[in-house]
Amino acid sequence: MKCVVGIDLGSTTTKALLLTEDGEVLGRGITNSRSSYDVACAVAREEALTAARFAMLEQQLAESFRGGGAAGNGAGNGTGQGSGDVNRSRPLERLLQEAFRLELYLDQLGHLRDRIGELVEAPYHEEWRGALEPAVEEILDQAETQAPDLFLGDAPRKSDFFRDLAGAAFVEGAEAIAERGDAPFERLLALYDRAILDVETNLETRSFADLLRRATERIGGASTGNGNGHHGLDAEGLVRLRRVVDSVAAEPIDELAFVGTGYGRQTLPFPKESIRSEILCHGRGAHRFFPGTRTVLDIGGQDTKAIQVDEHGVVTSFQMNDRCAAGSGRYLGYLADELSLGLHELGPLALQATRKVRVNSTCTVFAGAELRERLALGEKREDILAGLHRAMMLRAMSLLARSGGIANEFTFTGGVCKNPMATKVLRELVDDNYSQEGGAPITMNIHPDSIYMGAMGAALFALEDLEAGAAGLLPSFVEGDQSTQEVRA
Amino acid sequence: MSDATPTDRTDRIHLTAGIDPGASSVKIAIVKSRSGEDAEVVATAIQRIRRRDVRDVVRSAFADACASAGVGPDDFDYVASTGDGDAVDFGTGHFYSMTTHARGALFLVPEARAGLDVGAMHARAITFDGRGKVGKVRMTSQCASGSGQFVENITRYLGVPLEDVGNLSLESEEPEKCSSICAVLAETDVINMVSRGVKTADILRGIHLSIASKLARLIRAIGAEETVLVTGGMACDAGFLESLRECIDEKQAAEQPELAVVAHPDSILAGALGAALLGARRHRQLEEMGRLPVIAA
Repeated sequence: MKCVVGIDLGSTTTKALLLTEDGEVLGRGITNSRSSYDVACAVAREEALTAARFAMLEQQLAESFRGGGAAGNGAGNGTGQGSGDVNRSRPLERLLQEAFRLELYLDQLGHLRDRIGELVEAPYHEEWRGALEPAVEEILDQAETQAPDLFLGDAPRKSDFFRDLAGAAFVEGAEAIAERGDAPFERLLALYDRAILDVETNLETRSFADLLRRATERIGGASTGNGNGHHGLDAEGLVRLRRVVDSVAAEPIDELAFVGTGYGRQTLPFPKESIRSEILCHGRGAHRFFPGTRTVLDIGGQDTKAIQVDEHGVVTSFQMNDRCAAGSGRYLGYLADELSLGLHELGPLALQATRKVRVNSTCTVFAGAELRERLALGEKREDILAGLHRAMMLRAMSLLARSGGIANEFTFTGGVCKNPMATKVLRELVDDNYSQEGGAPITMNIHPDSIYMGAMGAALFALEDLEAGAAGLLPSFVEGDQSTQEVRA
Repeated sequence: MSDATPTDRTDRIHLTAGIDPGASSVKIAIVKSRSGEDAEVVATAIQRIRRRDVRDVVRSAFADACASAGVGPDDFDYVASTGDGDAVDFGTGHFYSMTTHARGALFLVPEARAGLDVGAMHARAITFDGRGKVGKVRMTSQCASGSGQFVENITRYLGVPLEDVGNLSLESEEPEKCSSICAVLAETDVINMVSRGVKTADILRGIHLSIASKLARLIRAIGAEETVLVTGGMACDAGFLESLRECIDEKQAAEQPELAVVAHPDSILAGALGAALLGARRHRQLEEMGRLPVIAA
């Protein structure tokens, strides 16, 4: 399979998108940008390749298990709905994906355990070492025990990033230990905070084939010791599943061209000729999905951009805010941390607001303090959050106005458009301030893949380079092929 | 409640308390004085608020201070709040933080004629005279780029306990310049520095210098000419103090040779001490007017 790669290295998340030579999306990957940009790119690309392989897997499973009877014999579904619906609530490829994530998480927890083990040896911890070591063991043991439920259970996860999941588990464990008075919370958390940076930036060569095989054994029931696992695969089904898994893992994916974009263009770890400006990429990506777009608002992790494009998707003017976190995605991230909520929980919660609250603080830190104060005064979380969302979007509106306003079709991109409250407030503010000639409301586009808009633009530029015979590739992509080689061997 | 009569008021010892709830911790001072003079600190308490209800923290810190002073809530002549007075739902009266910090600063360092209060959220510079009367005032306003919270956020990323920050920063040989002014965006800068292998000490010093340069402008703006006492939580941070001295540029130093930036080990208590002392003086004034307050503890 052949593809081109676009990577959007954001301040908060890094996105990778694979396009086929025909311009069809093959896979998307996202990860949290960490201290090392190289690692973030490598992981995002790995995730995109994983997604591409899972898409293949889904297709092949559907073919292999068509008719349902063969796989479903002992499963009790036996209705022959096709597509390997072995478990009643979840299709097989979904189950495999969750188990795959679980195996990856367990690997990373292992790395975390090793790293903390090294850190606690520092002379600074000498006085507490005796208390810290068993405490850390207890916390991580518990995290491991809870991991299967986190991934295979029915409750939605707060985040898919290791940092967030392991962090939540660690804080919970550390609080319990501090409550008992066994070890101080601050010291435990300091260990985690230091170790997570190293764990995240240490790019272990993770092998898709290996992880997927372990995932297969886990859900296939081999791990429980009998041939007929609790997810209902009989022995024959398992053999067939293993065959599909092996075939998907061995399928080569060839990358032909690459373009990168993102935050802080000077520090991007890409060859010069493979870099396109973030503004160009967002304009291009938005235009690809919505050709009528003339204004783009992109709210990313650390900066907010208002971009005007012409009928070809070429940027004509833009305004950017990158000196202050107010009005950027980080603003919401900070508030989510204040409330100990996942970022994606903020919007839905704010939507339940019943009262209008006017937030006075501009600065993110002050907004966090105002949030705490208002909570202490007994105001409702959802009401305050709604006010905070509004304060944030007002900043975006002023940026839009300075870039030239909105005259026609308008597209909202970036991570913040995943937040339903942000989009609702934006819609209201746009309607309050702008309308088409003749008074009709402005068309506002939000694509479900909005967060990948920059990566999409980059991939489109890569495709263009390929067609022009000037394709570039990241050197690390060439080395990275070793893992595929191993699988093939 | 005391049943002091007007006859013994000049010699009478007042037992008063000052309660100073800030954005990040609650400070309490219990003081014996003669109407606010000849003061002796009996007990103090500082508690971090963290994520608790600040009113609970006030009560708990006050109980701590009373226990270590060996007094009960009824033994006080005056219990004064300052700072976030809404967080104190008992007590006799409230004083504005500017006056309490000026009074507290004079108590700690009698030659001080200006104060720079650097708390978790805001910073404020004031000048005052030898009796604690406040002259000029300048505050940071829109943004947390010159505040203690900035440092606290950063230490989380560095895995350094807050109390070690100052000394670590002093060890820096090549301070790393911090480009972002925004306290929130600087976190990303710091993460990048860590991955580039910049020493923790150099990162901290860079942050200290960034905050200090902002606050040095406040000191300039109030036209401080003599000793400036740094109060508030950041006064405990030796690295910040050193950075602040560095940022008071040569021109300013030449114009005002007497200008010196100092801190006191009890600087963080300045507001609470000032409140306790002003409370004692107020008590005597009220006593003279025959309008003694009732403490609802």
